[in-house]
Amino acid sequence: MLDKNYLWRIYWQLAGVIMASVVLALGVVSYFSHHVFDRELVPETEKKAITVGASLRALVLKATDYGTDFTQLYGVEQSFDEVFSENPEFASIAITDTAGKVLYARGKEPEAIRQHFAKPDVLSVLATPDVPRDAVRIGTQYVVSLPIVSPAKALGVLHIGIDSAFVDKVLLEVLLDVVVVLVVSLFFTLELLNFMAGARLASGLGEFTKQVERMRGGDFTPSGRMRVNDEIGRLLRWIDAAIDHINVRYEALAGELRNRIAESNPDARDKLKPAAKAMEAIRVSKKFGTGEVAPKTEETDLNRIRAPLFAFILAEELTRSYLPGYVNQLLVPIPGISPQVVIGLPIMLFMLIVALGQPYLGGWSERVGRRSAMLTGAVVATIGFIGTALAYNLYDLLLWRSLCALGYGMVFVASQGYVLDRTDTGNRAQGFALFIGAIMVATVCGPSIGGILADNIGFRPSFGVSAAMAFLSIVAIVRLPKEELRGPSMAPTRAPKLSEFISLMTNSRFMTLTGLAAMPAKILLTGVCFYLVPLYIVSIGNTQAMAGRMLMVYAIMMVLVVPFAATLSDASLKRERYVALGLIISGLGGFLMLFSESFLVLFAVVFLLGLGQALSIAAQSALVGEHCQEEIQKYGADAVYGVYRFLERLGNALGPLLASVLVVFWGYIGAFVALSGLAFFCGLAFAISMRFGPIHHQPPGATPEAPNL
Amino acid sequence: MGTIRIRFILVALIVGFFAIGMSAFLNFFKYKSTYGTIVRERVLVVGRGIENAVQASLNVGLQFSELGTLQQLMVREMRADKLIVGMDIFDPAGQVIYSTDPERVKREVSNGWMQAAQRSKTTEWNVEEGGDVVAGISLKNNFDLTVGFLAMRYSKSYLDVAAQGVGREIFIAALAAFAVLFVVTPLALVFVIRRFERDLQVLETAVSHLEDGSVPPPATGSAFDGAIASLRESLGGIKGELDDVRRKLDAAR
Repeated sequence: MLDKNYLWRIYWQLAGVIMASVVLALGVVSYFSHHVFDRELVPETEKKAITVGASLRALVLKATDYGTDFTQLYGVEQSFDEVFSENPEFASIAITDTAGKVLYARGKEPEAIRQHFAKPDVLSVLATPDVPRDAVRIGTQYVVSLPIVSPAKALGVLHIGIDSAFVDKVLLEVLLDVVVVLVVSLFFTLELLNFMAGARLASGLGEFTKQVERMRGGDFTPSGRMRVNDEIGRLLRWIDAAIDHINVRYEALAGELRNRIAESNPDARDKLKPAAKAMEAIRVSKKFGTGEVAPKTEETDLNRIRAPLFAFILAEELTRSYLPGYVNQLLVPIPGISPQVVIGLPIMLFMLIVALGQPYLGGWSERVGRRSAMLTGAVVATIGFIGTALAYNLYDLLLWRSLCALGYGMVFVASQGYVLDRTDTGNRAQGFALFIGAIMVATVCGPSIGGILADNIGFRPSFGVSAAMAFLSIVAIVRLPKEELRGPSMAPTRAPKLSEFISLMTNSRFMTLTGLAAMPAKILLTGVCFYLVPLYIVSIGNTQAMAGRMLMVYAIMMVLVVPFAATLSDASLKRERYVALGLIISGLGGFLMLFSESFLVLFAVVFLLGLGQALSIAAQSALVGEHCQEEIQKYGADAVYGVYRFLERLGNALGPLLASVLVVFWGYIGAFVALSGLAFFCGLAFAISMRFGPIHHQPPGATPEAPNL
Repeated sequence: MGTIRIRFILVALIVGFFAIGMSAFLNFFKYKSTYGTIVRERVLVVGRGIENAVQASLNVGLQFSELGTLQQLMVREMRADKLIVGMDIFDPAGQVIYSTDPERVKREVSNGWMQAAQRSKTTEWNVEEGGDVVAGISLKNNFDLTVGFLAMRYSKSYLDVAAQGVGREIFIAALAAFAVLFVVTPLALVFVIRRFERDLQVLETAVSHLEDGSVPPPATGSAFDGAIASLRESLGGIKGELDDVRRKLDAAR
């Protein structure tokens, strides 16, 4: 009826136009910035060149004071080299005699510089050494000239050339961040298009398409939904009106027929038979106002979860690239524990609280209501972020981060519940696509923007920004509908029992999937992305922003590859291969660190990690349903998936701990290689067990739907 | 103007505001940090001269606390660059031993200075505290042991004035860019979504005339043609059937 890609085509066209406009606008800002940088930074660099020149001149004068001939000084070029290494913006340095003849020179001289040195104008500095001169542009350099004059006589002139392109280099560094801003803007655009217009549009057009289908099938029952006041809402109201009129007309005719049959004699009744027959045919083949009426919810109720969830997750994701750096700053020595392990503690604690809390928070959010649970979680996390921003030392930081973790767990579980409550088997996948979409976009945008913020405004104000985002999410949560849609017939979510934990953890089939696939994948993810990358990047002289860019690569891989990998693995029903291949690929990356320690190699490590995780992540949980049917029948899907998710999240908590211990013993490179090796060998072991082990020969039956715990 | 179009334009303006704002923010902070670095390096060049003098004295066996000419040297170097407002040399315990400002001698430096000096992984460090911007050098003896720290205080207002001026200009550039975006983007969006709006218009027109029995509009090639035809067919069908009942009822009179 309506091409399902119709709206997406429109979105991409709109996003293209918005991006083009944004690029144009950023071009304008960059052009002006370049102009301002050039005008302001060059004179300041000239002043620096004069100070550096004065220092060099002092050395020369000291040597000549000792009686060394000015033309025979030793080690001048080496001093120039030292100056270059400390001042990369200087391109050339030369000392000439009083006639402008070059005695000592280093660096890349611009064309015609030697003629410039001999110009009377330049040499006139010797006559008036106390009068400051402006720099002169020669080719691509600004040349600063300083007279070298001893108390006895003028000796020569020192010239320092400043590379005019140094401003370009400064702006090139900004450009990398601007590219990040562009990528983030693209994701923001799609998210906002969906939030501000698309959700309503998609919902409205979906409703319209459904209505058309229902009417084609003879269903003329009213939808009973509230219509929003926009184009789509208006046209749905027109259709509702048409349906209402049909219903009224049908009821009127049916009533009239009934009355006339009741009031008429047998002859008249015979005459009414054709009408009654036609009416009966309509009644049988069509459905009118007495059919099932959809609940009177607003069309966009489900979509309204996306904005608060996005804002809340973004608040946490913003901190990913710089949290280890911040912990490093607040570090206090803890006897018996290496500082490297201490740096990993807040991340580990966060993951552990989320892992331990989630099975129980599900039931709690059902009891108190999803909206209230989200509100409580967001408030707790906001306090946590504010506390983190103001933390005095590591000990109170651990407390604040625990609050953030608790809030995160509450909001995450309650949002999942919100989606579950408002979806049925027909649209649950769509509901969770919306849920995961919000998280993924936050994962793409958060670390990179967080890194930029931390680099420019510092750690504490950056946590302040996270607190502001978490507060924004509170505002959005308050606007969520207060009505709980969880029906009394829906079974309450329950946390797995200890006996179920023990049974499942001693079940070889279940543990093959969990211990060889899910846990190593998470250990690698949090160990590398949340702990090693932010710390290692800074240790090799890069910035938090670079760490953010790296983490963005991981998230983009997930966004791009997961949908394809999920579709392909579902279609092929060879999910084990995707899981094994994913683990092996994600593990391969770390071995690259053995060959080079450059950040380009680190880029490849994160790229492969993202690719590998994206290939395996969707297939992993589906495999639980596929291979643990016996266990699901015995303990129930809630328990099996509850234990699975718990162990998976335990992997999240173990990652930073393991990585930090490895750093203590083998350094960063050793930790990268060891964690990757773990994932690689688990991938191989999983592949072997797939062929010969406990999950071999399992018929691929229907995969039960994974409960979201 | 339709509400959907307004929403699309609002999205563009919000994204534009974010991107331009971030870009201006990045440019401003890059300028501030680059400018700050250039100024700090300039100050450090002066400091290295003093560091060399201290090390030369230590090399000939003088005690760190007995460098008699150091204060005059510091005053001379400070006067050579108006940017520098003062210099202090303090010991590892934080007590000032030499200073261009005699009143500061024997006083304790702030904890922030000590932390910055001790945390630095190189011999250079810097700290911004209150109204002071400080560039420092750790002074080491022949055995590579830190015997003290040289701190050069320089004018924060010098940095602030430069940053404010440039910040204002970048802000104006960002405003200009946003103005361009404000004008260009809605026009471009209207151009792009006109097909979608036309489709919606066709649909709305068709739906609004579902009940008046008017002649159906010809197919326009819109994405909704199929849906419109189906709607008309469904409604036409049921209306025809109800008309038939009406006729039969009337005929039975």
